[in-house]
Amino acid sequence: MHLNYLANIGRYIPEILLTILMVGLILLETTYKEDEKNRRYIFITAIIGLVATFAALLANMGGKAEAIFSNAIVIDDFSTLLKMVMVLGTIGAVYLSRFSRDVYESLKTEFVIMAIGILIGGFLLASANNMLTFYLGIETLSILSYVMASLKKNDERSSEAGLKYALYGGISAGLMLFGMSHIFGVIGTIQFTGIAKMVPTLSPVQIAILMPSFLLFFAGIGYKIASVPFHMWSPDVYEGSPTPVTTFFAIVPKLAGIAGLVRITAIFFAVDSPLKIGWVGLMIVISALTMTVGNVTAIGQKSVKRMLAYSSISHAGIMLAGLIVMNNVGIRAVVFYAITYVFMTLVAFYIVSIVQDKYGNDNFDRFSGLIYRYPFMAVMMTVVMFSLTGLPPLAGFVAKYNIIQSLINTRNYSLAVVLGLNSVVSAYYYLKIVRIMVLKPQENNETIEGFGFLNQMVIVVMTIPVFTLGIFWETVMSWAGNAKLFIQ
Amino acid sequence: MSSIYYYLSAFLFCLGLLGTIFKKDLISILLCLELMMGGVSLLMILMSRATGVLESQLIVFFMIIISACEVAIGLSLIIALYRKKQTIYTDDIKIITE
Repeated sequence: MHLNYLANIGRYIPEILLTILMVGLILLETTYKEDEKNRRYIFITAIIGLVATFAALLANMGGKAEAIFSNAIVIDDFSTLLKMVMVLGTIGAVYLSRFSRDVYESLKTEFVIMAIGILIGGFLLASANNMLTFYLGIETLSILSYVMASLKKNDERSSEAGLKYALYGGISAGLMLFGMSHIFGVIGTIQFTGIAKMVPTLSPVQIAILMPSFLLFFAGIGYKIASVPFHMWSPDVYEGSPTPVTTFFAIVPKLAGIAGLVRITAIFFAVDSPLKIGWVGLMIVISALTMTVGNVTAIGQKSVKRMLAYSSISHAGIMLAGLIVMNNVGIRAVVFYAITYVFMTLVAFYIVSIVQDKYGNDNFDRFSGLIYRYPFMAVMMTVVMFSLTGLPPLAGFVAKYNIIQSLINTRNYSLAVVLGLNSVVSAYYYLKIVRIMVLKPQENNETIEGFGFLNQMVIVVMTIPVFTLGIFWETVMSWAGNAKLFIQ
Repeated sequence: MSSIYYYLSAFLFCLGLLGTIFKKDLISILLCLELMMGGVSLLMILMSRATGVLESQLIVFFMIIISACEVAIGLSLIIALYRKKQTIYTDDIKIITE
């Protein structure tokens, strides 16, 4: 019995690797803290460790889905795929932090350590199979995020961002736990599978208690993905934090939250019940609101970083729309959307970060005439903006198309229409930056040091998937879809 | 008998929630957060007693540890902000949105 418990540890290698990596980096950091030159070894170690984790996840792919550690954690292809995407995002953010001037030189290694810690939390959340691991995952993500948001110690905006994040996080975690305790009180177990078995057999009174409880339960996760009633922290935190941190926040906690939400929805509400109708209705309203609020508020922004923050809210809304379909097609569409979203976000934030490092702010005007100085970078930014809008033949189009298709297949016409209209709205502010880069005369002729040859190469390499996923998406989808993507 | 404890925990939770919304200084907000967590802990233990399953008592242990971590980080962030602004009132700390 006790040995059975340990026998599963083979499926848990990626998380163990990450934990060892984090502890090792803390030791390395304390050793080489004073030494400017040796600090790059820390970065090299971090990148090697992350790549090793990626390889371990790749080895986990295609295996049979199983619940390990007394059903506390599920390892399946869905969570493994999203974990791989999260690792990619982390590698991107770590590389960005290496040359960004927004993070203090002496704190760069700490950024890496905290990023890996948050990644561990994301892994836990993506494969949580009971309330306890779910809560632990959310809190591991959150607690390190508070510190990371206030990484710029001397900037009061950064401290304010961290504090806001911490207070919102505390309140929403409290709400979530209040909901959880009611769910536990009615159903009598914290295991997700146990809850799923009970859901179709509930009496009307129990359902009346559970509906608000699930609403409260959603608060915790909705805060993590910044969906609408709980999105207010997001633009402030994104603007106040250093840009590499913002890049990281736009990817890892959001995707981890989406993964957790997909799992909850798919396990709890697989069978028809009044609860399912309530939950799907809630998700439809929240998804439509999230998309619309994110897009409409993004229009008026002056800072590109803040604009991207609002646009990331609307992307979370689109992923929520794919989630309510609740079949394999919808879930596959969400995963595909997550993959494309990572690459688009990384490229956009890289370019914004480099421009911001040069001029000290990231207003739209700083981008004027970028095409005359750095034609390659301006073209890459244009490609990514087209892709974020959802224009063919780029990856963003295919991702949106898949979600709309799965919505129409399940007769959610109204949400599909809302999604389509929102794409039109988003075109306004995404194409605004393209217009400014191409049509406005440049402000000055200065060279931007950040656009060195290596960085340009990295940005180009990250843009390639935006093209290839847009054109060869069927291959990728069938590769991801051959393995049974889902859980039980 | 146990319904009294239910009302007590709900009361504590609501008190904490209202406090986090309406209080104006950061230390009180953190204290109200703790009050919320206290209410939820009581409810978790109550539910465990009502259902006879111990799982939710397990969550309480983790909750206590995690909310302590949260408050520690919250306090350190308040100190960091206080050093710059010399204030802990939320009305005086609104830099980003302006």
